[in-house]
Amino acid sequence: MKVSLFVTCLSEMFYQNVAKDVVEVLERLGCDIDFPKGQICCGQPAYNSGYRKDAQKAAKQMIDSFENSEYIVTPSGSCAAMFKEYPELLKDDPKWHARAQATADKTYEFTQFIVHVLKIEDVGAEYPARATYHTSCHMTRLLKETDAPSLLLANVKGLYMLPLANNYDCCGFGGTFAVKMAPISEQMVDEKVRHIEESTADLLIAADNGCMMNIKGRIDRTGKPIEVKHIAQILNSQTAEGGN
Amino acid sequence: MTEGLVHNQEEFLNNISARLGRERKQQVVKPVWKHRPQWEILKDAAPEELAAQFKKNSLEKTTAVIETTAAGLAETVRGAISQYGGGRVVTTKDARFGDYGLEPVLVESEAHVWNAELGEENIDIAKRAAVGVFFSDISLAESGTVVQFNGKDIARSVSLLPLAYLAIVPQSTIVPRMTQATHQIQQSVEAGQELSTCINFISGPSNSADIEMNIVIGVHGPVEALHVIVTDR
Amino acid sequence: MAMKIGDKSFFGRVDDALQDDFMRQAMSSAQDRLRGKKQAATVEDELVGDWEEWRSAGEEIRQHTLDNLDFYLEQLSENFTKRGGHVYFAKTAEDATRYVQEVAKRKNAKNVTKAKSMVTEEIGLNEALEEIDCNVYETDLAEYILQIDDHDRPSHIVVPSLHKNKEQIRDTFRDKANYTGTEEPKQLAAFARAQLRETFMQADIGVTGCNFAVAQSGSISLVTNEGNANMVTTFPETQISIMGMERLVPTWEELDVMTNLLSRSAVGQKITTYVTNLTPQLVEDSVDAPKEFHLVILDAGRSNALGTEFQSALQCIRCAACVNVCPVYRHIGGHAYGSIYQGPIGAVLSPILGGYEEYGELPYASSLCAACTEACPVKIPLHELLIRHRENYVKDYGKTAEKMAMKTFGVGASSPLLFKMAVKGMPAAMKPFVKDDHIENGPGPMKLWTEVRDFPAPGKGNFRNWFDNRKKGGGAHD
Repeated sequence: MKVSLFVTCLSEMFYQNVAKDVVEVLERLGCDIDFPKGQICCGQPAYNSGYRKDAQKAAKQMIDSFENSEYIVTPSGSCAAMFKEYPELLKDDPKWHARAQATADKTYEFTQFIVHVLKIEDVGAEYPARATYHTSCHMTRLLKETDAPSLLLANVKGLYMLPLANNYDCCGFGGTFAVKMAPISEQMVDEKVRHIEESTADLLIAADNGCMMNIKGRIDRTGKPIEVKHIAQILNSQTAEGGN
Repeated sequence: MTEGLVHNQEEFLNNISARLGRERKQQVVKPVWKHRPQWEILKDAAPEELAAQFKKNSLEKTTAVIETTAAGLAETVRGAISQYGGGRVVTTKDARFGDYGLEPVLVESEAHVWNAELGEENIDIAKRAAVGVFFSDISLAESGTVVQFNGKDIARSVSLLPLAYLAIVPQSTIVPRMTQATHQIQQSVEAGQELSTCINFISGPSNSADIEMNIVIGVHGPVEALHVIVTDR
Repeated sequence: MAMKIGDKSFFGRVDDALQDDFMRQAMSSAQDRLRGKKQAATVEDELVGDWEEWRSAGEEIRQHTLDNLDFYLEQLSENFTKRGGHVYFAKTAEDATRYVQEVAKRKNAKNVTKAKSMVTEEIGLNEALEEIDCNVYETDLAEYILQIDDHDRPSHIVVPSLHKNKEQIRDTFRDKANYTGTEEPKQLAAFARAQLRETFMQADIGVTGCNFAVAQSGSISLVTNEGNANMVTTFPETQISIMGMERLVPTWEELDVMTNLLSRSAVGQKITTYVTNLTPQLVEDSVDAPKEFHLVILDAGRSNALGTEFQSALQCIRCAACVNVCPVYRHIGGHAYGSIYQGPIGAVLSPILGGYEEYGELPYASSLCAACTEACPVKIPLHELLIRHRENYVKDYGKTAEKMAMKTFGVGASSPLLFKMAVKGMPAAMKPFVKDDHIENGPGPMKLWTEVRDFPAPGKGNFRNWFDNRKKGGGAHD
């Protein structure tokens, strides 16, 4: 299956290892991956801040870049949801609207693609840890993908998943919200970290780099002994006998 | 009352239609709604099941429930009334008290039957009463609700002012939910029938959760409620 | 006092809120309880069926009604007056309060009882009535608490006194009303009952809001639990109900659907204890019913939303489901919004009614997590409307620096070459700030981030190079 990777700007800048894990997992599952070089950012920072025109520029760049792709896969529910917003964003632009729709229709978040397109629920990973999972708002509410990450994690050998209280509450990232409304965002991430601590997990798994950057930043700042990893990092973990 | 007055209507509504970007609508046909989940609830429930639901949901709202038959009703009501000591009994003026053989009980307990001709005196009695007794016109299984069509004789005060209310619920009045009640009201409006000045859906004693989300039973309305289901009527 | 709360700036109010530990505790525990109750009465209630079907039903009813608002309001007005009621269409809050004052003067009214109504808060009705020497009595327990506490302001549209604990309420009752009991909610409620009992009987005018009006029959529907709305509409000689112009349904069939959505979404009840449906009567021969019935239909900025991208905001039925799931409201409470309409719907509605000058910051008080949109029983796309507001706001009020930054973003995000340079140049640019693998004290806007949390240092490798040069399927990277 031919897959175009949209790695996301955050991954490309800060979390290259996550990006590499995504590539390796998908390849192991038989995908033929290409990386359209024109890709930059989905445009969400501008869009959510009210800068529609600037977001449109970003969107067009992405639509162009992925024009020939069969599937677009990205390790972020939030960025995938932004792609799904392109038809609305470009609704008044007849030249672009149909192309925007086509782009939106072939876009999948990483775990969503594995479970719903590849129809795989066990990627053969092994990762011994007591972990909990942060449900990202945009993945669950905008993309409406609620099952894929937990299905995949349930099949990771050695991984013991603990429930997370108030998992439906936002971690306080919200893109520019984290700096624009810094005092409120701080309270939100603090409560999130408290719930993570109370879960007694040693590892927090997230599926979105934005949330991850926020929660990890706070966990590290407050010196909590909790590791934070992207789900791709977990799914790409192999032991000797389980390896490919 | 005579027909009422209306102020500023045209200007106000013209502004609305202008904002909506069109002329004033003279006629609108309500669409057939695509989504009508309300009709699915307890759709095929037998009367016994509706009564069981009504009972369960009344209890959930801290309303006491007694089931009886028409033959046992007088005795049940007599017993219930005697439980609410320390005040009078007030009832609506309703021919059904006679039909159900309850008049002797009312006489015996010196109940005050609402009498519009006495004016305010009725209210004074009701507000000191221990219990207000009335018939439910429609009863909702889903929520343990009784419905009153208030008016001159079926006074609002009877279910509102006494410390407790006692509603007699003939099983035949139990419908699945509010849907059937509003449907009936809608049909009577469409038929041009007079509409009750107050159609009251009542589900148990008054209550409030305004203080730290703690439920307190008994605020401005009754503190206790009892639904007496008459299973064979 | 009207819609606005307090004179402080938005961040001043937020700071106040964040320091109020009790309030914050009250908000989060109330949210958790309300959320649990709502879930139990909606998606988890087997009897109610598919809750999404109900939401869709609510949405189509509200959309149809708004699209034909002029028609249904005319029908409502016709049916209400035909039965002897009086209708006043009020363009502004002042028009509405002036009309109520006129009625009160004409009736020589001294005492006015009120059932809970946000729309009367919005128009400042209590002050208007006090201006003409009427005594106004709030009778909803929460509103009563606020009123005797020197007119404190509502912090939640369904439970206005949510920010107060029982000890605070006990003290207020003691200091202002000679209460001698304990902080037990049952005792406090019994005190309010005793205090208000005679007041209900003595009132000349009863004032209510309106949950829904039924156009078909000219009826006003009120949902309550305490029985106070019944008291307010049963004993005074005159009743005045005030409704936002959008709060109506075509017929009783739709009233059923909307009442169900409201009860379950607001308080997790299958139905509120009272659903009281009042219709004027040409020949009113009841002892315990008002003889005169007025309906004030209020615009006060609502029509600003009609025909615009904000029209769906008028679908709102004031259930506060969005407030109850909002993680921002959870931490800052209601007063920080500076409007009697708080939470996500407040952030959408307040700028529509009161303008961007006053309320333009509220749409930013959201992480756009969309919990509100998911909770809304009539499917208002709340988080999208917040973005629409932001789009309008930056046009007129946007800060130059931010505009420049976003323009740069637009250019950068559409030029692969520039982006490549940025990715490449970033590790060097950020180097002075990097400590081990993260940044603790970032420059510029990053400072706001790093005051609270670490920021990851830019990765040193280059993903694109790695991708091009890797051995496909070659196993784990370093």
